[in-house]
Amino acid sequence: MKWITARRRHPLAGYVVVILALALFGVGYAAVAPTSDQAQAQTLAADAPSPEDVDVAEGKTIFDQTCASCHGLDGSGGEFGPDLRDVGPAAIDFQVSTGRMPSMNPDAQMPRKPMVMTEQELADLIAYYNESIRNDGSGADVPYDVPDIEPHPDDFAPLRSDFDSEEAYEEAVEEAEAEYQAALEDYQAEYDAYISGADDTEMGMRLYLTNCAHCHGWSGGGGALTDGRWAPEIHESTPREIYEAMVSGPGAMPMFSDGVIAPEEKQELISYVKTLQAEPDAGGIFNLQRVGQVAEGLIGWVVGLALIVACAIWITAKQRAHD
Amino acid sequence: MSKTTQAPKALRGVGNFIDDRFHAAKMGEKNLRKVFPNHWSFMLGEIALYSFIILLLTGVFLTLWFKPSMIEVVYDGPYERLNGVVMSEAYASTLHIDFAVRGGFLVRQIHHWAALIFVASLVVHMLRVFFTGAFRKPREINWLIGVAIFTLAMLEGLFGYSLPDDLPSGMGVRILQGVMLALPLVGTYISMFLFGGEFPGEDIITRLYMLHVLAIPALLLGLIVAHFMILWHQKHTQYPGPGKTDKTVVGTPMFPGFAVKAGGFFFFTFAVIAGLSAFVQINPIHLFGPFTPTSITSGLQPDWYMGFMEGSLRIFPNWFDFQIFGYAVPIGVLVPGLVIPGIVFGGLGAWPFLEQWITGDKRAHNVADRPRNAPVRTGVGAAGITFYGLLWLAGSNDILSETFSISLYVTTYIFRVLVIVGPFVAYFVAKRICLGLQRRDRESLEHGYESGIIQQLPSGEFIEVHKRNSEETTEVLASKPEITSTALTEPAADDKGVRNPESRKAKGRIRRALAEWYTKDNVSFEGVEPHTGHHLHHSEEAVKEHASH
Amino acid sequence: MTENNTNSSGDETPERVVGTPADEKPVVTGAAVSEEGHAGPYPASETHFNTEEGQRRGEKVASVWFILAFLGGMGFLVSYFVFTPGDIADPQLGQYSNALLGGTLTLALFGIGAGMTVWARKVMPHYEVSSPYDELPSSDKEKGSFGDFFMQGADESGFTKRPLMRRTLILAMVPLGLAPIVLLRDTGPLPGDKLKQTPWENGRRMYVEGTHRHVRAEDLENDPYGMISALPAVDDDHYPHGISLNDAAKSVILLIKMPAEDWKSSMEEDIEVEGEVASRLNWTHNGIIAYSKICTHVGCPAALYERTTHRILCPCHQSTFDASDAAKVVFGPAHRPLPQLPIGVDDEGYLIARGDFTEPPGPTFWDYAKD
Repeated sequence: MKWITARRRHPLAGYVVVILALALFGVGYAAVAPTSDQAQAQTLAADAPSPEDVDVAEGKTIFDQTCASCHGLDGSGGEFGPDLRDVGPAAIDFQVSTGRMPSMNPDAQMPRKPMVMTEQELADLIAYYNESIRNDGSGADVPYDVPDIEPHPDDFAPLRSDFDSEEAYEEAVEEAEAEYQAALEDYQAEYDAYISGADDTEMGMRLYLTNCAHCHGWSGGGGALTDGRWAPEIHESTPREIYEAMVSGPGAMPMFSDGVIAPEEKQELISYVKTLQAEPDAGGIFNLQRVGQVAEGLIGWVVGLALIVACAIWITAKQRAHD
Repeated sequence: MSKTTQAPKALRGVGNFIDDRFHAAKMGEKNLRKVFPNHWSFMLGEIALYSFIILLLTGVFLTLWFKPSMIEVVYDGPYERLNGVVMSEAYASTLHIDFAVRGGFLVRQIHHWAALIFVASLVVHMLRVFFTGAFRKPREINWLIGVAIFTLAMLEGLFGYSLPDDLPSGMGVRILQGVMLALPLVGTYISMFLFGGEFPGEDIITRLYMLHVLAIPALLLGLIVAHFMILWHQKHTQYPGPGKTDKTVVGTPMFPGFAVKAGGFFFFTFAVIAGLSAFVQINPIHLFGPFTPTSITSGLQPDWYMGFMEGSLRIFPNWFDFQIFGYAVPIGVLVPGLVIPGIVFGGLGAWPFLEQWITGDKRAHNVADRPRNAPVRTGVGAAGITFYGLLWLAGSNDILSETFSISLYVTTYIFRVLVIVGPFVAYFVAKRICLGLQRRDRESLEHGYESGIIQQLPSGEFIEVHKRNSEETTEVLASKPEITSTALTEPAADDKGVRNPESRKAKGRIRRALAEWYTKDNVSFEGVEPHTGHHLHHSEEAVKEHASH
Repeated sequence: MTENNTNSSGDETPERVVGTPADEKPVVTGAAVSEEGHAGPYPASETHFNTEEGQRRGEKVASVWFILAFLGGMGFLVSYFVFTPGDIADPQLGQYSNALLGGTLTLALFGIGAGMTVWARKVMPHYEVSSPYDELPSSDKEKGSFGDFFMQGADESGFTKRPLMRRTLILAMVPLGLAPIVLLRDTGPLPGDKLKQTPWENGRRMYVEGTHRHVRAEDLENDPYGMISALPAVDDDHYPHGISLNDAAKSVILLIKMPAEDWKSSMEEDIEVEGEVASRLNWTHNGIIAYSKICTHVGCPAALYERTTHRILCPCHQSTFDASDAAKVVFGPAHRPLPQLPIGVDDEGYLIARGDFTEPPGPTFWDYAKD
């Protein structure tokens, strides 16, 4: 303390205090600021599940337990949830796989969250929906040929309790690892094929900039809507989720059917978004989250001008006869 | 320091050569001896000067490749992601600078960062001059030149931002054209002539390019040189202190001390801008995509210095729009587009003359005011900053709405109220703070400063020892000028009871009222003698004395 | 800064004309007025020389900075040649090149700046001098002399005494003064009704911007809440997009499909299109309505359509239009509804325009409401 007391009248003391206060504020904010929801990539992209892979009865149980309280046992909707009979399986897949459904608060817009069901449960649910709830082919189907979520090692990991001996378990772990690697490679190949299958940047860019960017932003960073709603950022969205959002129109979003934007045109659009997102920032490692001019102005003032003024203070700092 | 080194022969040769032709020795020495006050806030203007030099240098480099043409081409170039995309040649040539010219990306980013810093430093420099009253006689003309530089710098920035013809930049031009169209009677004509037809046409970038690289920089350069020559002739103002008077300036002479410092400062300024450009991406036009008039992005913003215009366009309501004989007068565009910048720049330009009219002060001032010693001016400045700052923030209300999860419309309502209330609050708060600081100054002048040492007197009383201020501090504290106005000292009526004709007229009455407002709140230092206060017996000597009794 | 030495005009009054008497208050600051003082015409204060040892230390520190700067500068030159122009076309390598060039440049510049600052602070002696401000107003004698001389010259020239010559000269200047303004006439055409007409006309089909596929009614009408941006099918080979940017800028539309029960009563109001008067609903097709996409405020594309509220929001200044209520303004600075484009369907099922917009599209201008 003595050290501080002795220096509190130093000409630079005021600046030091300001800098410390700013640092403290920054650290404090970082501590209380909400951490973003990280969607866990969970399963492998797949073709349409064959009937023997799904369990419709299980799907009914899931529906009755998690969905029916708001949407009704027959999916016809209720006070808290809309009629599901015409929305189509793409909407179900989108809402559940992005973690927006099931929702605890039917009035509020849901942010993206980790999915609460397993991929198998979702497949069962969709099978049940198609069989018993959906009005005769209405709404869009799940676009199974568009790549979905990257496989995740946890889905392959064996349970220790299933094995008697440590060796057997380790063996299984190794096997699972190999399975996971293979699945990942498959997925990557499928993903790359889908993205690079699009070759008309002009079309993808035009479609995205004229129909999507006004809400989701040029970089897919999202934007404000009215009444406190917002268009979500789409960086974590898989190609399939983007596709499903377009055909099902979640929330306030209008629908872009396969009639107005054909599947291969959607592929161009999705490819444009994902390629742009993966594009390295040629201008520098700090891309300011691609927010643009507001962030640039802020940095110009609080970093640029402040550093230059700090240099000016150094240059002109008082020199006493005995320093 | 014993002996001065002889000038090298070569240097003497050159010196003589010049002197033979210009008689330069005397003038040269005088200028080398020019005195610069030593305070960092006097270097803010230099940041602007240096950024401008950086802008000129990097701008010339960029013109070597940039093609100001709106001819549409199908891109086929080094930046593979955009191959096959239809874009203007302007955009394509900017991609060329970024991806085919080594260092091109860096220079373009330096140019953009330097532009942001240029205008920012103009603002802080201007605020320094305002709050210290350095605009007062004899420096009013230089203040006006400064306002003109600020205005032109904004336009220069806006036009430069528009040149690469990327998505946000084209929208800036679109908004400019929309504001132009709103002008009664002449709007459509001005727009047609400027754009060579309808929006966007094929001429606007070529024309903005001419304005951006030739006309406005030439004007700016001329004004900056004039600004500088006037400064050189009139010399800097200075903060109060020992020996610093309206007649004498104290500081470091130009040569050698200040020249080296200023040179170093140029390199610092350049280094910070280069550092930002190396690591922080700015205006990534290759990611935005080319401009089309049919597309738009959310979160669209101009560069920061146009933010206040954007904000006023956003929050001004449409309640006052009207039609006259079937002709539209969109007040909701005209006021934010023309009247508000008029208030900002007109107000800046008018203030020195308004203040002089109010106070009737015709003296030349070379010693700067401490902001606290002119509370009304400081309050007005704070109100101005608040007004400008709120409009600027309102220009990013969508980002604020999204970041802080506030309803978009609510942000608009909040800003509508704040823009009116905020300046008044800021005025009163700033003025109160000034008056509080004045009281503290008076206290400190009379009693010395609180040393932080607590002593117990033999009587058991605890006191905090006050120490004498240094002579410099005393001088600074005692320098507080009395704020007066001739409007108040002129008698309202002469001794025969005839009222002063000046004060009877409306103008005179307004002036009297303003003078009242400008002068009434002030802490008087009249009769205050340094270190005479009753607390002075708490000073160290007094304590010792006390103890010895 | 140094350049400005030569900028100063040569006829400045010499310094000591003012002759501030040397008996000005001596500049003292408590510290001794310097042992040796600063040799100059003005009194120096606070002079202190750095000790020889201190100077030597300063010299070393400054030199270290300068050497760093040298290395930075050399690094910059090397960095330039590390990458070929072909390399930097790859954005990742471009980022490395940018960081390397910029980083070394920053080091070079900062090193010089820091070195010079250390030089000025640690090697040079520090002192402050005072010098008089110039007395600004000239003396009455000087002013009088100047005034007399000027008026004498003016009289001599005859400019004051010969009004005919003076006035004809001014007259001769007037047309020349106007010439630059006249010369600007050809910068652009007169507005005419260019802002009021668009390529939309009865029977013109429309295509989705980006795909160039003509829109059929069935593409949109099967979804309850569809939306798409569309342009008139002009198909002019002269332009890469088949339509000029000028035409695209004013004719772009937003096609919106909404359920019949969502229309507000104002949609029953009559509007006139190509001489025919019919209700607004009559100019929609099976729940599909077309509005101009250009905001009537200052011209940004107003395209944020929320299907739940039927609001169309402009992202620039947040003007909001109600698509279910004839695009009337419900919030924000715009004043005028978005113009509606009357649409119908042709024999082959393609959506077509049935005429031009109901009002001129784009930012409101003085005579938009006049024919």
